[in-house]
Amino acid sequence: MINVSHLRKEFELSRQQQKELNTSDKIALAVNDVSFECKAGKVYSLLGPNGAGKTTTLRMLSTILTPTSGGIEIAGIDAVKYPQEARKKIGFLTGSTGLYARLTPIEIIDYFAALYQVPNKERDERKKYLFHLLNMEDFLQKRIGKLSTGMKQKVSICRTMIHDPEVVIFDEPTSGLDVITAENIIKLIRDCKDQGKTVIFSSHIMSEVDLLCDDLAIIHKGSLKYQGSMNDFRQHMEATNLTEEFIRIVQR
Amino acid sequence: MIFTIFKKELIDTLRDKRTMRTMLLIPLLVFPIMLTLFVNVSSSFEKNASEEKIILGVWGDRSGKYTKQLNQMPKGLGEMSTRSFEDSAKLKQAIGNGEIQLGLIIPKNEEVLLRNKVSIPLTWLFDASEIGRQERAESYMNVISDNAELIRLKELGVDADKLHPLVPVYENCASDKKMIGQLAGGILPYIFIAFGFIGCMYPAIDLFTGEKERGTIETLLTTPISRWQILVGKMLVIVSSGMLAATCALIGLFVSIEFLDIVKNKEILDIVHGILTPLFILSMFSLLLPLVVFFAGVMIPIAVYAKSFKEAQSIITPLNFVMVLPAMIGFFPGIELNAMTAAIPVVNIVLSTKELISGTLSIGYYAISLGIMLILAILSVVVSYKQFGKESRILN
Repeated sequence: MINVSHLRKEFELSRQQQKELNTSDKIALAVNDVSFECKAGKVYSLLGPNGAGKTTTLRMLSTILTPTSGGIEIAGIDAVKYPQEARKKIGFLTGSTGLYARLTPIEIIDYFAALYQVPNKERDERKKYLFHLLNMEDFLQKRIGKLSTGMKQKVSICRTMIHDPEVVIFDEPTSGLDVITAENIIKLIRDCKDQGKTVIFSSHIMSEVDLLCDDLAIIHKGSLKYQGSMNDFRQHMEATNLTEEFIRIVQR
Repeated sequence: MIFTIFKKELIDTLRDKRTMRTMLLIPLLVFPIMLTLFVNVSSSFEKNASEEKIILGVWGDRSGKYTKQLNQMPKGLGEMSTRSFEDSAKLKQAIGNGEIQLGLIIPKNEEVLLRNKVSIPLTWLFDASEIGRQERAESYMNVISDNAELIRLKELGVDADKLHPLVPVYENCASDKKMIGQLAGGILPYIFIAFGFIGCMYPAIDLFTGEKERGTIETLLTTPISRWQILVGKMLVIVSSGMLAATCALIGLFVSIEFLDIVKNKEILDIVHGILTPLFILSMFSLLLPLVVFFAGVMIPIAVYAKSFKEAQSIITPLNFVMVLPAMIGFFPGIELNAMTAAIPVVNIVLSTKELISGTLSIGYYAISLGIMLILAILSVVVSYKQFGKESRILN
């Protein structure tokens, strides 16, 4: 479970950033008073246009960034106070995540298993399960730099799931991927849901959200504009389709 | 956990061809190649210059006594033949177009000057851009001058030995080891510092800026590892790389001395062997280690700050000159290790190493040098940690 309350994130702007953004403000407010709850066994979607604050929110959930104020609870752990403990429960995957090009998939998976302190026996079982599930056996010994985007994505998935996290955070996971590669991610999200994990993912593609999520929030300029179940969203929409409804909410 | 990060980063670094080139290959090969070229080229120039058969043009030798003396020069001074010229302008012209290699102008009033027992100016013409010409002229002049001196002393009825009541005898009391340490000892710390810096450079950029650029840092930060563990794990690889590069340079130098016959003098070779003891190498590494940690500590905040590999490289490369310039202090013979120089970073390492080679290193100054470098190394690690902890720095 993820519990977020009154989350706020401010960034200090350097002089160069002030110049680039054409502002005299010394602080940029990226996320403002965001609260939501993601339940175990459900898929929660954070929907918003580019620059809305989705990535900043998810980076705070994964403890890469520290909130300016507000609380985050990950699988019962106060992630602001005990970030290292919370990280043990989290699997984090973004569409832009790179992999170490000079290592092989097996070296990367072993490295992350060691960082997550997964016991050897459990690690070997998870590897066997994931390699088979993702059909990775053929390229395990090849260096990442020589793999296709689809293969790399499978390695990323395997890396994210090697410690069997309770909470999985996906930041625009299908961004830049072709339909077939993106299908791996969609399948992974569904599997996580079936296994009772808490899943949160960000996207700006309404069709993807419609396909996967149980609950959703729409975020724009750092603040939540809508929050509820996907069913409620469908039932109460004023526009003719989901994308138009999303645009309507963002622009109102 | 630090070891896990260290191991992974080391594998990653060792598979990077660019880093391997700067860390192993260049330091290993630079001295054998450079010294072989230098020794061969300079000895070949020297040989050519001394073996070269030259023509010496003479103008104004009316009596022919100078030409006679010149034609009887010892063969050890190089082969030479003389040619008479009728005017000085043609003599100069002949040197200019390479027809002859040396020219000698004897003044018109040479006989008058000789009779009056005053000094006779002999003008030697040569092309200074040609190696060894002036040396040839000087050696011929010495012979002629000595002959003239003996004749004049005889004319004056003076015993040559009685003319010099005091004969200086200079005796060098410094040991050969000390001489080598002071004269050539500067090169060793210079090599270490230069390659220690270069060895740190690429891994520092790759492990911090590179990780930011490739987007892998974000994933690493979501693992249950503290930032200081990540920093220390990566820093250990950077320091190892710097130490390895410096060691490879030292091995390259050792191989050049041992197997490429660069040091011809056996006595000097024995002294060099005497210097390179395990204790000496250990002491030198003890000085180098905090220096390399300091280098890593200076580079990491830059690598963390930079948004791209190019940006990091453009900042660190000029820094190389700032760091390595003080290492050149070692080339100046007059500067010694004292309480003040021991407190100047980099300079203290250079001078301590020099004294270490000479066998004159004072424990007190060694402790000051080491202490200063350790403090700087710790400070640089703290600065690196602060920079690496900044959210704005680590995420592009």
